[in-house]
Amino acid sequence: MTKASEKPMDELVPIFFMGKRYEVPASLTIQKALEYAGYQHVRGCGCRGGVCGACGTVYRIPDSYKLQVGLACQTVVQPGMHLMIMPYYPGNRTEFDIEELKGTGGEVAALYPEIFKCIGCNACTMGCPMDIDVMHYMAQAIRGDVPGVAVTSFDCIMCGLCASRCPAEEVQFNVAILARRLNARYRVPRAEHLDKRVREIKEGRFEEPLHDLMSRSIDELKKMYSARETEPQMAEENWTPQDARYV
Amino acid sequence: MAKVAYYPGCALKERSSHLDTSARDSAVRLGFELDELPTWTCCGAVPPVSEERVMNLVAPSRILKDVRDSGRDVLITICDFCYNTLKRTNYSIRTNEITRKRINAFLADDEPERDYIEKKDAYWVDYTGEVRVVHLMEYLRDEIGYGNIREKLKRPLSGLKIAPYYGCVMLRPQNEIQLDEPENPSIIEDFIDSLGAETIRYPYRTECCGSYLSVSSPDASTRLCYRILTSAQQHGADAMVISCPLCFYNLDSRQKAIAEAYPDFKPIPVFYFTQLLSVALGVDEGRQGFERHFVDVAPVLDMILQGSGKGDRT
Repeated sequence: MTKASEKPMDELVPIFFMGKRYEVPASLTIQKALEYAGYQHVRGCGCRGGVCGACGTVYRIPDSYKLQVGLACQTVVQPGMHLMIMPYYPGNRTEFDIEELKGTGGEVAALYPEIFKCIGCNACTMGCPMDIDVMHYMAQAIRGDVPGVAVTSFDCIMCGLCASRCPAEEVQFNVAILARRLNARYRVPRAEHLDKRVREIKEGRFEEPLHDLMSRSIDELKKMYSARETEPQMAEENWTPQDARYV
Repeated sequence: MAKVAYYPGCALKERSSHLDTSARDSAVRLGFELDELPTWTCCGAVPPVSEERVMNLVAPSRILKDVRDSGRDVLITICDFCYNTLKRTNYSIRTNEITRKRINAFLADDEPERDYIEKKDAYWVDYTGEVRVVHLMEYLRDEIGYGNIREKLKRPLSGLKIAPYYGCVMLRPQNEIQLDEPENPSIIEDFIDSLGAETIRYPYRTECCGSYLSVSSPDASTRLCYRILTSAQQHGADAMVISCPLCFYNLDSRQKAIAEAYPDFKPIPVFYFTQLLSVALGVDEGRQGFERHFVDVAPVLDMILQGSGKGDRT
């Protein structure tokens, strides 16, 4: 019988980070594999859950010329892969005051006139780790369809990999968030429940529990955190916690 | 109702969506449906004037391949520039083996490759120009038939004198487009005739309106449009009919600049061919977006409405 401590370790596979070879456990994500190899992520690491867009990664596996993309926190290493994490892409970002706009497609075109340079090569779509049809929303931006861009680009996490692959030097992700902001500000109805909650905060409804928390010691907070009631995985739609004073 | 694959083009999709509406309304009245492709990009509007022979053909080629992959072999467009771009792209693919191979090699690599995305079962088939690119004006002539249009008229445009305007890209280059005689065309004349109106002959119907010069040197376009419009008026035209959103912009909106530059100029209403068709087929004149025109169409519209009474409402 094998003791737990004698359990064979995960098979090691080689990966190449910035051109240097490392042997890492085969089951790790790129992010964990690099930490295993001794790197500490200062930039290029955010939520570790696949939604913040900080760890966009370009990689290539042996015997293929194709560059592939993924998020370092979501993509499992493959033997022999060459990779680079790209925390930031220095694409153009224009400034605007949303209160001075009206939410039209013409405004998107005026702020990002380079959208008309799109040649429809589809490199952006192939370079999107979120599987968004980037070229399609750029086509929608070109024809002035702001709500269309907002819907098509909804899953965008702003990693910027689309822009990194673009021969026309577009900044797809910035065009998309402009469209989503215009859409949210001028097209979709206001979220009344949000207004209500902001009003409650301003009226001081949450002051008391907040001050209570701030007065606790670290140990007390840790205990409270461990004992907190969380929503079950398969909760009913009308689930409410035991302590519903602040819901 | 028969569905035909339809490529609206960017201009008609948003900025001039009223022209798209009139095309769809007319199609329904004539017994077919313009079925917009689920996703499409700008056609490029560039290949006709560009030396680059591959990259600029990628987007229009993908549009055509998507039509083929959806099991259809005809694609209708109502914009002269889209028509020119798509048809010439198709011509290159059909006739130039090197272009065909390079475009297909590029498109075949088009799908993102990620382990968590389900691979499509379909294997790659080269696009070899199987789709036929058809101008709506051409579809009316060859598939619907002028006789059929005449039968379905609710408001014949009798008594109205209309000047057809072809511009440049609808007919040229002849060997690639093959829609009509570029020097002496008749397709718009025959279309006007089928609506019951009278065609005005004038010498500038195939001259250029200035096209994109409207952006870089608007004065040149103003001069060209002045010549076209006054010639049509001198030959007795009540209105112009065109089939290109850019010509439409130049000939309609530019009349402001023309009036400023040429004091003798008098405005003349400009119609997209689908608008006249739609009104003649009895679709409500309120659906045509006439309020978005620069030149007031009311004088001509009144002639149409008085000439044949009110059509039925939709």
